[in-house]
Amino acid sequence: MMATVQTQQPPLPTTGEKMKVENTDIFYGTFRAIKNANLSIPDRRVMALIGPSGCGKSTFLRALNRMHDLTPGARVTGTITLDGTDIYGADVDPVTVRHRIGMVFQRPNPFPKSIFENVVYGPRIHGENNHSKLAEIAERSLRQAALWDEVKDRLERSALDLSGGQQQRLCIARVLAVNPEVILMDEPASALDPIATSKIEDLIGELKRDYTVVIVTHSMQQAARISDFTTFFLLGDLVEVGTTSDIFTRPKDKRTEDYITGRYG
Amino acid sequence: MADVLATSAIPRSLASDRARSRRALDRLMTGVLWTAASSIVLLLLIFFGYEFLQGYREISWHFLTGYPSASDAGGGVGPEIFNSFYILILTLIFTVPLSIGAGVYLQEYAGSGRFRDLVQFSAESLATVPSIVMGLFGLLIFVQTFHWHFTAIGGALTLTLLNLPSLMRVTQEALGSVSDSFREGSMALGATKWQTVVKVVLPSAIGPLTTGIVLVSGRIFGETAALVFTAGASVSYGKSAYDFNPFHTAETLSVHLWSIHREALVPDADQIANGSALVLLVMVLVFNIVARVVGRQLTIRLTGKS
Repeated sequence: MMATVQTQQPPLPTTGEKMKVENTDIFYGTFRAIKNANLSIPDRRVMALIGPSGCGKSTFLRALNRMHDLTPGARVTGTITLDGTDIYGADVDPVTVRHRIGMVFQRPNPFPKSIFENVVYGPRIHGENNHSKLAEIAERSLRQAALWDEVKDRLERSALDLSGGQQQRLCIARVLAVNPEVILMDEPASALDPIATSKIEDLIGELKRDYTVVIVTHSMQQAARISDFTTFFLLGDLVEVGTTSDIFTRPKDKRTEDYITGRYG
Repeated sequence: MADVLATSAIPRSLASDRARSRRALDRLMTGVLWTAASSIVLLLLIFFGYEFLQGYREISWHFLTGYPSASDAGGGVGPEIFNSFYILILTLIFTVPLSIGAGVYLQEYAGSGRFRDLVQFSAESLATVPSIVMGLFGLLIFVQTFHWHFTAIGGALTLTLLNLPSLMRVTQEALGSVSDSFREGSMALGATKWQTVVKVVLPSAIGPLTTGIVLVSGRIFGETAALVFTAGASVSYGKSAYDFNPFHTAETLSVHLWSIHREALVPDADQIANGSALVLLVMVLVFNIVARVVGRQLTIRLTGKS
């Protein structure tokens, strides 16, 4: 009755801990969306967050770069550290946190500006004004996001003219342009067709050489294909975390097993 | 499949009387609604055509640039046209930053709270004040209390009070139409709130904002009651028809139209009124057209959206 999905490769030995979540609760008003979560996120690996709709995986992800600061009524307790520093610490600027921990959203959200201006938006707001430097960053980021060849002749065109898959890779390029250490992805391929999805997945495989990636996905196949580690959420509980192959072939918790074998959700 | 069809046991004719009459009613109502919509175009054409026929004979270079006359025929409306633009620009200098600032604050920063409700309530109350009452208020404050007498600046400040709420509302709506995903995307790249507002939100809202500003400009241009008591119903006779001193009296075109009907001694008052009305009408129409063109162009320029 085990799931038959094949993981892409055996997980690499862990390289150390990039982020750590301890005793974390997340509330919307009085609703407790995440209950006492504890998780260690390894450096330069892909960590997938899976679970049925409404289990809190996106809520959890958004706590990792303080996006909940923007939601009235949302509250995060416990400690979440980046390289040992509490990102919710009193003297920590949330803007700096988001500079180091980038995010790609479920729906591609390029700004209504040109392709070029989208990519260099981050460097610009962080004070880079030299045009040749910006052009260099744009090319490097677009190449990294595997989009350069498709857009190099039309960088001045509106980003809104791109296809959905191209827009999402542009959003990834935009994040790469600010040189983050961690990239959070909230179901980045769920609004895309299968071909665009596989391009994004290939890209994530490339990214983990340089970046720590945490990705929320509702597709177990996707989690199995791209991630080294998998965390399973259910109804606000962080149920189980392990290497992706362990989670999919030898889950310890009955609830995890039920979910990945399709008996739940 | 057969089972499903069998549930609607009574065979329905495709051309029953009922279906025919329903279709006729549908067509009739489409026609009624079309008539309602096109009557707006027709009314505009009739109105504009009438004003044109009444006034076009008065329009000449002399009329558009010359001084008004106190008692003889043949006076122009040059200073009035200048004053209309001058007061418009003065008003915009006060209104645009204040109302956009307040609108941005309410939409982007205030969240929900008492202060937000207070500002909103004040703006809505201010919006319901009739312009003549605002004019009397301006008279009390700027003309009498400040001893400015009738001045362009007093008129402009009164018009600011009058138009602040609507432009603030326009700003709120323009910003409200900007997708939250842009704000999130910008914040997630490490932008501050201010950077997000200035570099993403406002440029995305530039189309509706410009349209709103130009439409408000049209209303300022045509405003009369509030100006009679504040900017005055006479022009200053300085060295030229174009007096840039904001502390001088400044009768606008619409005020001139009102005053010439009411108290002019000139024998050709009716002709001047007709000419003035036509000029006023053309200017306001131009504002409307400019609002559309500029709004669309800026949207394309700043967002690449066509």
